[in-house]
Amino acid sequence: MSNDVWIVAEQKEGKLKKVSLELLGIGAKLTEKTGGSLSAVLLGQGIDSLTEELDGYGASKIFVCDSEALKDYSNEAYTKAIVDLVKAGNPSILLGGATALGKDLFPRVSGRLTTGLASDCVGLTINEEGLLLAERPVFAGKVMVDTITPEARPQMVCLRPNVLPVPEKGSEKAEIEKVAVEINPQDLKATIKEMVKTAGEKIDLTEASVIVSGGRGMGSKEKFKVLEELASAFGEGATVGASRSAVDSDFAPHDWQVGQTGKVVNPNLYIACGISGAIQHLAGMRTSKYIVAINKDPEAPIFQVADYGIVDDLFKVVPLLAEEVKKLKAQD
Amino acid sequence: MEITREIFWNVGHWVRWPVYGLGLIVILIFAYGLIKRIRLWRMGKPENRLDNIPRRIGSLLSFGLFHKRILKEPYPGITHLFLFWGFLVLLLGTFLIFLQEDFTKLLFDKIFICGNFYLFFSFVLDLFGLLALIGVILLAFRRYVLKPDRLDNKPEDLIGLILIFLVLLTGFFNEGVRIAITKPDFERYSFVGWQISKLFVSSEASVYSTKILHVVFWWIHLLLAFGFMGYVAYSKLLHLITSPLNQFFRSFAPAGEVKPIPDIENQETFGVAKLQDFTWKQLLDTDACTRCGRCQDNCPAYLSEKPLSPKKVIQDLKDHLTSQAKSLGKGEDAEKEISPIAGNVISEDELWACTTCGACQQACPVLVEVIDKVVDLRRYLVLIESKFSPEVKLFFKNMETNYNPWTIGFATRADWAKDLDLKTVAEKGDVDYLLFVGCAGSFDERNRKVTRSLVRLLQKAGVNFGILGTEEICCGETARRMGNEYLAQILMQQNIELFNKYGIKKIITSCPHCFNTFKNEYHQFEGKYQVFHHTEFLWSLFKEGKLRFKTGVEMTATYHDSCYLGRHNNIYDAPRKLLGSIQNTSLVEMEKTKEKSFCCGAGGGRMWMEETIGTRINHMRIDQVASTGASVVATACPYCLTMLGDGIKEKGMESKMAVYDLAELLEKAL
Repeated sequence: MSNDVWIVAEQKEGKLKKVSLELLGIGAKLTEKTGGSLSAVLLGQGIDSLTEELDGYGASKIFVCDSEALKDYSNEAYTKAIVDLVKAGNPSILLGGATALGKDLFPRVSGRLTTGLASDCVGLTINEEGLLLAERPVFAGKVMVDTITPEARPQMVCLRPNVLPVPEKGSEKAEIEKVAVEINPQDLKATIKEMVKTAGEKIDLTEASVIVSGGRGMGSKEKFKVLEELASAFGEGATVGASRSAVDSDFAPHDWQVGQTGKVVNPNLYIACGISGAIQHLAGMRTSKYIVAINKDPEAPIFQVADYGIVDDLFKVVPLLAEEVKKLKAQD
Repeated sequence: MEITREIFWNVGHWVRWPVYGLGLIVILIFAYGLIKRIRLWRMGKPENRLDNIPRRIGSLLSFGLFHKRILKEPYPGITHLFLFWGFLVLLLGTFLIFLQEDFTKLLFDKIFICGNFYLFFSFVLDLFGLLALIGVILLAFRRYVLKPDRLDNKPEDLIGLILIFLVLLTGFFNEGVRIAITKPDFERYSFVGWQISKLFVSSEASVYSTKILHVVFWWIHLLLAFGFMGYVAYSKLLHLITSPLNQFFRSFAPAGEVKPIPDIENQETFGVAKLQDFTWKQLLDTDACTRCGRCQDNCPAYLSEKPLSPKKVIQDLKDHLTSQAKSLGKGEDAEKEISPIAGNVISEDELWACTTCGACQQACPVLVEVIDKVVDLRRYLVLIESKFSPEVKLFFKNMETNYNPWTIGFATRADWAKDLDLKTVAEKGDVDYLLFVGCAGSFDERNRKVTRSLVRLLQKAGVNFGILGTEEICCGETARRMGNEYLAQILMQQNIELFNKYGIKKIITSCPHCFNTFKNEYHQFEGKYQVFHHTEFLWSLFKEGKLRFKTGVEMTATYHDSCYLGRHNNIYDAPRKLLGSIQNTSLVEMEKTKEKSFCCGAGGGRMWMEETIGTRINHMRIDQVASTGASVVATACPYCLTMLGDGIKEKGMESKMAVYDLAELLEKAL
């Protein structure tokens, strides 16, 4: 058994998901302790160009599984490709993102490999015995559980996106190993015929690292533009959300809704604009890492959960904020 | 001339025998139809509805004989009363004639419908016959000309009305023609027949043809009457039997009580999948329904364009029962795989649209129960099929992990009390009352204000009370109404253990849902407590002089009845009296008030589900508030407070009105 750490890089339609880089970041730290090497597994079709994006984060090798059968995500095909690879390479640790894909894929992979899986983890370390110690929140984040996989290998973990940082990109290049995938698309029990998407290219709220949300205080659909501008100032990973009352007032579509009856999100930064903070909204965003509230009403309950509060007109504050964020980003 | 009339005059006494024969056939036809329905009801599970017979007879008299509920609406109420009493008296009259002809006259050669009694008898029968005729005409006018939205027309309605109309009309014509020929002066007392007789002034020459006309009327009347009697068992006219039965077998449980699934650990199925899972009384309900539609007229879900109508639910179940009867009749295997009711006979959207507000049951003249069926069908969806929306799933998950509906840790449940000088029951030990705060009052910032106001009022009045602090958990009300009986019972039993551990005897709560559950449902698990809603309790403190409201509050207020306080527990006065005790406050009533109050839209778990179909119920209620001109709407329920507050915001009415809990208004008035 090696001491190697592998991560499963995630891509969708030729675009690499950020969680892949987060995985490389923690993977590199883990190899410092285990002494093994770090590798990434990349699956899909026509994805060669993505390897450059994975370069520079400490991976010494990238396994590229390029096949028609892997073009769209398929649980069966991806499982087979990964299981074959793992059986050949015997990594000690296999990491993936606790994304929609990861939550679907990893349980089956772990089943096939008859090993354990710690899902939806927020922290990873190596303990004194050299075992991977995965930290996972349970009971709505009230208790943290440390999970180890003592015997079976690899030690498998799904890591929650946006929890760990993306490290600085270095200059070193990884070795590319093309892996032959022996899957006949006809053998798959389920195939994807068509992908039906909701309108817009908005990234999924649950995967966003920054969410700028508007409430009824926005006043109209058109005025949501200022929030979109702020979100775009933050760049990739930022998106716009809405409170239930904004959705009810038709200021925003339903799939933007954050809250008890919408999406439950936990971005790094949540900016609540003109949202009073009804409990039904708080239930959907209170676990965000940093909460900034902008509201005219100093009594608004949102300030009780906010790390930073601005009592002022959001239409004054948000454009200023957008400008400052752009300036800061320009310095990068 | 003796004042009486000859029975079987002109038609010949021999007709007695064919009448007997026909009568027997009609009785058999009727009995066959009725027994078929009874056998269908008996497919249901047993349920004891034979307790408390005197009260049941009382219910039969007041709701049946005296139309207590039917008369709540004057037009259909009075017209039905006419028809009902008209027919009842005519039936009695016919019975008296039967008694005379077939007993006293036959056995003792004695008639008693004669002399002054005959005059009285003739007058009363004509009067009630006329009332019935007016009733049936006005009812037909309403159904076919006024066409109220809530009535749907089927052939059986038309056939029934025409039959009744013709039976009455031919009866009167029969009488009129007889009087026209025999011309006794005393028949003036048969005032309707007397008038009709003038149409048939018979000369010597035409007596023969008029006599034939009489025979024709007589037979038509008889055949129509028998036809009517036979038709009863095969049409909605069966309600002549089933509605009184339903009034007799009514539930005496508190309106807000939902029955438990008994011995839940050992059940193999939950809720109602097929008709046989209902009790016989629940099946009888479907036959007792007359499709009058009053439920629908009062149903907030229906009125806000949701797919639910209580009438439709009951009728769909009835049709399902009838189609089952057909397959049973064909000797098909009753045990064969049948699709479950929930999702097939009654759609899931219908079932989840119910707010369990009870307005339908409150309006039903024949006391059909609806909420129990909705909950039973939801139980099937939730506990057997796990079919519910993502919002409901989140609710259940939160309840299971944190004992509250939100994603908030249970350890923070008592945070609202941090800055108040308040002790838990565990710390204080000897308390007179437990203040059960409830989930909304504990976690929701808006409702926390209400809790704090209530605490300060209680402290001011020197009440010795304590809270459970972080040990308190949800009362289980909503989980139960959402069909998750398993979760509900866990919550209930856990609370009961807690109450008993601290020796709690008396509970005060500001949430009508907690109140109803403690008061009407905890006894199912041996939890018996004296429970007070805060409005009741504050009113008694005021009466005892322990609270004085010295500061006037200048406002025009209206009071929004919570369903679970009002309709389900009959508390209408205490909140209004409390509002009235605030100086300078004038109280106005909404059109839909007290037992006809309109739900806020949050009951039955609707609080936790998206309302995507139709108009929002809370918006409708806010419009109703607005039409009173009140600047303040007072509530006494955290759900109502939230829903009305949201409604005011969403409709942009913040400058016109505000919603407060009574406790908040009273604290202002201290």
